[in-house]
Amino acid sequence: MPEPKLTDELHRMETEYEPLLPIERKLIWYTFVTGVVLLVALVLISRAFLK
Amino acid sequence: MPTLLEAPVKPAPPAPPEAASAPPRPGMSEDWLALCIGLFVFILSLGWLFGKDILGWAVTTSVWTTPAKALATASKSYANLPGLVSLAATYVFMLALLSVGARALRVSVKRFAAGFTVVFALSYLCWFLGSWAYIAATPDKRAALKIPWSLNLTNESGFIIALLAGLLIGNCSTRACSLLKEAIRPELYIKAAIVILGGFLGIAALEQRALATSVMFLGACAIIAAYLIFWPVVYFVARYYFGFSREWAAPLASGISICGVSAAIATGSAIKARPVVPIMVSSLVVVFAVVELLVLPFAAQHFLYHQPLVAGAWMGLAVKTDGAAVASGAITDSLIRAKALAASGIAYQPGWIMGVSTTVKVFIDIFIGVWAFVLAWVWSAKIEHREGEKVRVSQIWQRFPKFILGYVITFLLVLALGAAVPALVPKIKASMGEANVFRAIFFVMTFFSIGLLSNFRKLWQEGIAKLAAVYVLCLFGYIIWVGLLISWLFFHGVLPPVVKG
Repeated sequence: MPEPKLTDELHRMETEYEPLLPIERKLIWYTFVTGVVLLVALVLISRAFLK
Repeated sequence: MPTLLEAPVKPAPPAPPEAASAPPRPGMSEDWLALCIGLFVFILSLGWLFGKDILGWAVTTSVWTTPAKALATASKSYANLPGLVSLAATYVFMLALLSVGARALRVSVKRFAAGFTVVFALSYLCWFLGSWAYIAATPDKRAALKIPWSLNLTNESGFIIALLAGLLIGNCSTRACSLLKEAIRPELYIKAAIVILGGFLGIAALEQRALATSVMFLGACAIIAAYLIFWPVVYFVARYYFGFSREWAAPLASGISICGVSAAIATGSAIKARPVVPIMVSSLVVVFAVVELLVLPFAAQHFLYHQPLVAGAWMGLAVKTDGAAVASGAITDSLIRAKALAASGIAYQPGWIMGVSTTVKVFIDIFIGVWAFVLAWVWSAKIEHREGEKVRVSQIWQRFPKFILGYVITFLLVLALGAAVPALVPKIKASMGEANVFRAIFFVMTFFSIGLLSNFRKLWQEGIAKLAAVYVLCLFGYIIWVGLLISWLFFHGVLPPVVKG
């Protein structure tokens, strides 16, 4: 099978745009918020317990 | 051209009795091989504990003004051995060890040996040139070496020379690269080096337990940064602003956010992308990792020499691919120590900055399998719902980078031995010193191989500009700054121990 060319791939993506699904938005949003909350918690823990 | 890619782990199908024309069984993975090689060197080095100096003949290169005096043995027990004989012995040992490895990988041992000879020779030549006093000497050594000036780059500038030499050869002579391809294995070399490095860091942790705990803690935070803070933003940018399809955006986000090549491949297979997608992403990751490797350590030296551990953590978070991240940690380590000595007269203990970079990278790697599992579940259950398809938990183990087990074993073994029998610490230190000789050689071969594999022509390839634009925007506009902020939050004001005496 011939290897697809990147230019063809990009062209295809422009013509067949895949909109962001609600589940993708959820994945992005939940992951990011969880990350920020956990990071803030870890910063506080490190300030309190680690020297 | 070979890539940094590894064959996915697949169980071999049972061979029928008449399978004369059946495809050859897959060899050992580079991951397992790196673990075996690293552990083998580590175990030999422990001969010191039983009064046997097994690796003392290995070659070291000191900062030199007269080439004839540059090479010496690692241990005084073998001081009578001429430097060139020591070099030859080191070459023969590594050739034998890695040729057995090549056999386990099921590649042509003959071609591997020929390629390895060239890679070893050129890499060591670069290391040797990098140790020239005018390049390497720190200001406090100039008087002893009787030289009026030096570039103050320490002998680890050999890494940069090896990288540049590799880039030159790799981009000017594709024929040379194809002749050497069996031995151009930066992932194998760096993973073996990381296994050995575990013991070296175990010694450091033994002496500075509070600091080591902080480093481990940062490692845990790095996981959160890479998977939960970098990934969603890069995925969103690629999908929303650049219009990439899901098949391209997910491996691209993993490549830029997590750990270049292996994460892109794991993600690609988790979401069932076509093989070409992670391969294309990986080649881009490698090229940009080289750019980072050439720029970030010098930026860190200039702006962060008074915050060495912030710089080390930054390298681990910002530079992609294991090889480039640990390598940039090594360069940053030497550059910052040299600058701190020249500017403030402070001599930091070597290895701490690199240790922080390595720990951060290793912690991030640990979760690649878990992340691939999560994405596989989300894709199959929610995005591209496929009836009857099950995501197996065993995928987590399949995707787990096995060389990390070696790193954990060497680290914990040294830590436990030293903590249980403090009288053994000097002997363990001597052991790790000898193992470290091989770690440095694996490092320099990694740099040279990364250079050989980095095909900058890809950047000019039609169409790759859009892919590169996401990379540049996310890496230089987001990841390196957030990485710096996180490193700063955890490490500002925390300094490595200084050299006593």
